[in-house]
Amino acid sequence: MRKRTLLPDLALPALVLIAFAIGPYVYSNELMLFNFVMFLALAQGLNIVYGFTGYLPFGYVGFYGAGAYGFALAVMHLHAPPLVALAAGGAAALVLAVVLLPLLRLSGAYFAIASLAAAQAVYEVVSNPALENVTKGPYGVSLSAVFAPRFSYDVGLGVLAFAFLLVVWLRNSRFGLALQAIRDDPVSAGMAGVSVVRGRTIAWLLSALVAGLVGATFAWHISVFYPDTAFDLGVSIFATVFVLFGGATTLTGPLLGVLILYGVYNAIGITVPQYFQFIYGALIVGLVLFLPNGLVSLLTTRGIRVP
Amino acid sequence: MRLRRGVLAALALLATTMGGLAARAAPAPAEIKIGTLYASSGPFASISMPVFDGIKLWVQQVNARGGVYVKPFHKKIPIKLVAYDDQSSTATAATLYNQLITQDHVNLLLSDSGSVLTSVAVPIAKEHKMFLFDVSGTGGTFFTKDNPYIGLMAIPVSTIWPKAISDFLDDVGVKHGIKTVAILYATNDFTGTQASALKGFLEKDGKVKIVYDQGVPTSTSNYTVLINNIAATKPDAVAELGFPGNDIAFLRNLQDSGEKFRFVFTIYGGAEMDEVLKNAGAAAMKDTFSYVPSALYQYKVNFGPTLPQYHAAWEKAYPKGAGVEWGSNAVYGYMTGLVIQRALATTSGMSQLDLHHAVFALSGKLKTLDGPFELNGEGAQVGELTPIGQLQPNAKGGLDLVSVYPPQFAHGKAVFGK
Repeated sequence: MRKRTLLPDLALPALVLIAFAIGPYVYSNELMLFNFVMFLALAQGLNIVYGFTGYLPFGYVGFYGAGAYGFALAVMHLHAPPLVALAAGGAAALVLAVVLLPLLRLSGAYFAIASLAAAQAVYEVVSNPALENVTKGPYGVSLSAVFAPRFSYDVGLGVLAFAFLLVVWLRNSRFGLALQAIRDDPVSAGMAGVSVVRGRTIAWLLSALVAGLVGATFAWHISVFYPDTAFDLGVSIFATVFVLFGGATTLTGPLLGVLILYGVYNAIGITVPQYFQFIYGALIVGLVLFLPNGLVSLLTTRGIRVP
Repeated sequence: MRLRRGVLAALALLATTMGGLAARAAPAPAEIKIGTLYASSGPFASISMPVFDGIKLWVQQVNARGGVYVKPFHKKIPIKLVAYDDQSSTATAATLYNQLITQDHVNLLLSDSGSVLTSVAVPIAKEHKMFLFDVSGTGGTFFTKDNPYIGLMAIPVSTIWPKAISDFLDDVGVKHGIKTVAILYATNDFTGTQASALKGFLEKDGKVKIVYDQGVPTSTSNYTVLINNIAATKPDAVAELGFPGNDIAFLRNLQDSGEKFRFVFTIYGGAEMDEVLKNAGAAAMKDTFSYVPSALYQYKVNFGPTLPQYHAAWEKAYPKGAGVEWGSNAVYGYMTGLVIQRALATTSGMSQLDLHHAVFALSGKLKTLDGPFELNGEGAQVGELTPIGQLQPNAKGGLDLVSVYPPQFAHGKAVFGK
């Protein structure tokens, strides 16, 4: 067996990280760059659970929102410094993922819808006016005391690097291969000695952790937000579409999905917003009809390995 | 020593003179760029589009007269309005506010309508040291002592509005046997804050007892069960505080339920009367109470057109059937333009802090078709008024919003149900 080098898998994320580190010095709309970083990390986080286990959680935004509120609660009530609050955001998403572990007993559309319902339930709890003293209810939180757009942007790059490394590890490790075996045929994988439950659980937790950290960084970067923003279903939809557009299980697919689709989204949003739904819809319909396995399938179907 | 002092003084004089010359030599820009956002779709479209249409009308009128007079350049300069559609999304709005500041380099920044879409603009404007002309974002957390980069233009902060309801119930309602009230509100920044303030005022005065107090999501579109729950507590008065969609659904469901209360209050029954009337119908709105918005009350002005003059200009620009509804938000956008116009005509410079000073200098002095303009030290609007009115039948078979309280603004008497 030919020994594979990690270089191509590491070179691509490194290039992206360098580009986004330089970005603010070249393009001053830092928030737009931050949104790119956020969706790049979220898409890779979703890639972990969808690409490697086949579970597509429509309610992925639940972890993102939990991370945002974990961060906010740590800052508001514990007066935690931002980096500690960031860890609290990740921990909040992990706790939610543990609570939602039984959802993994479902599969396919049932799992997707159940995860969506779970995210909605968390949103309803957070935005409940009765919890105004804890979460500020539907009236939103203001974290102006820790507002640090540049530092939080750099931390966002760190979270993106972490998400990239997780995917690189999964693509090049026995554990990642085991996950793919589970995705393709869980019964056979189980009979071959792969621990199906353990594998899915770890992927689920890692994916939630990434979303939680991204949500916490978002809360820090934007500093004023409402539950509707933190649990906006649009976040789930975007992340899912980006992964599907580019191609799951690879590092390149979600990355291309974000760069192309979110780039188009911003270009349309600024120039011709009235055609937004039409252009975006046409792109997705075209993808589903002609490239159901994503852009990278143009290469992978020809036997070319894509990082 | 004396010589050295003399040299220093001469240098200082030279520097000052050169500075002055440099300032005087600064060329006037070809246009004043005003950046704003609007929501053509989503939950905030109904309050955002009339504001945007009002701003556009003001820009159109000013440019037709050769531009806006800008004092530092002693000349009129045309306005260029740079506007993006945020589609009611705060994430999109945040990116677009940044776009306006960092890429379009607008001279003046206006927020989109309402607290939610303004919320993301507040830290961004502060970070970029850009004065935010906050049209109607009333969130209490926006206005802090450490942020000079915000001023609320067109409506009072949410905590001020319900004082009129409380005073009306205490002064007039009690005399007519109103002793209990039910408060139902949509849980968003604008109406939630009003509900809290109303409860505070009523509890402090102690004349009218709160027997029902319930918050519901702003997306609520069916009030049937809630109305039954309210009826079970037998209140004399019901205050439903929501956005236009909430008020329309509530009034329709109330009519369908057959339940009657002696006093029913909604915010947008008056504030966006045309829209609510079109969707809920006159029968559902008859005898209900609401705030009397500036779109329906003629204030004495010392700057800009009077209400009838503006209404005529609005009807000409947006004829009936054009899909643009006349209402208080139509006034808010235009009124913000008037503040900008006055501030540019009096500002000592074009820096954002100069604009802050110019806007704050208007406080207590400017009276427009939206009422008296007055800011507190933190930039919150405290001057404008919220009289109480009642939708009473007129001779033509329609409804008029008759101002009934406070007495100095009253055009008629309140009629309470039995």
